[in-house]
Amino acid sequence: MEIGPVGVRTTQNRGFTSEELAEQCADKIISISDTADPVIQQQARAFKDRVANLVKVYLDQAVQSDRTTVYNALQEAGQPQLAELVRRI
Amino acid sequence: MAFTGNFMCTSFKVGLLKADHDFTNATGHTFKLALYDNNASFTAATTDYTATDEVGDSGSYAAGGGTLTNVTPTSSSTTALTDFADLTFTSATITARGALIYNTTTGGGSGTTDTVAVLDFGSDKTSTAGDFQIIFPTADASNAIIRIA
Repeated sequence: MEIGPVGVRTTQNRGFTSEELAEQCADKIISISDTADPVIQQQARAFKDRVANLVKVYLDQAVQSDRTTVYNALQEAGQPQLAELVRRI
Repeated sequence: MAFTGNFMCTSFKVGLLKADHDFTNATGHTFKLALYDNNASFTAATTDYTATDEVGDSGSYAAGGGTLTNVTPTSSSTTALTDFADLTFTSATITARGALIYNTTTGGGSGTTDTVAVLDFGSDKTSTAGDFQIIFPTADASNAIIRIA
């Protein structure tokens, strides 16, 4: 029986950016073996970059969409100034 | 006493042979991960979660730690393996050196705190009013968090 190494990522005074999360997502989806043919490794890395870019686009949309939801919730709660603050983040 | 690397607790190995632990997604047992500072003194003989030297509550982190999402065990060649989804504590100010994974429903029970594994981060990891994320290794025969070759 063996146990694998865990990693830890932290942020200071902010959350993770969509770029950081997209890279983590791509790392989970695509694993590239160090022993693979160099040409295959190159193709895999290019594909991984494309996946990360695509994931980032959708993460950005998710963030914006969630802010819309929060904005409306704050408006309905009678907090228009707070709602506007959230919208401008 | 400080963290001295990753290891599985002996009681967990025994528990596996008694079918006490079920890592199946959704229908399996509930496993949690708690964070500790470097004063924690875990050994292979540790059998239960402890609040001693656990990091304080902050942001989404509360005593006892966070619930893990199981990934149903599978196999790769002759190696059996399981995995967890990455775990993130948000808006948290935390300094942790390691973690303990434990089962809160061992044998299908409830309120248990039976240890699975101790994780050593290698150095203190700190988040300040931010996110503290545990990233589990790639779920393959060479890296998965728990493997039986």
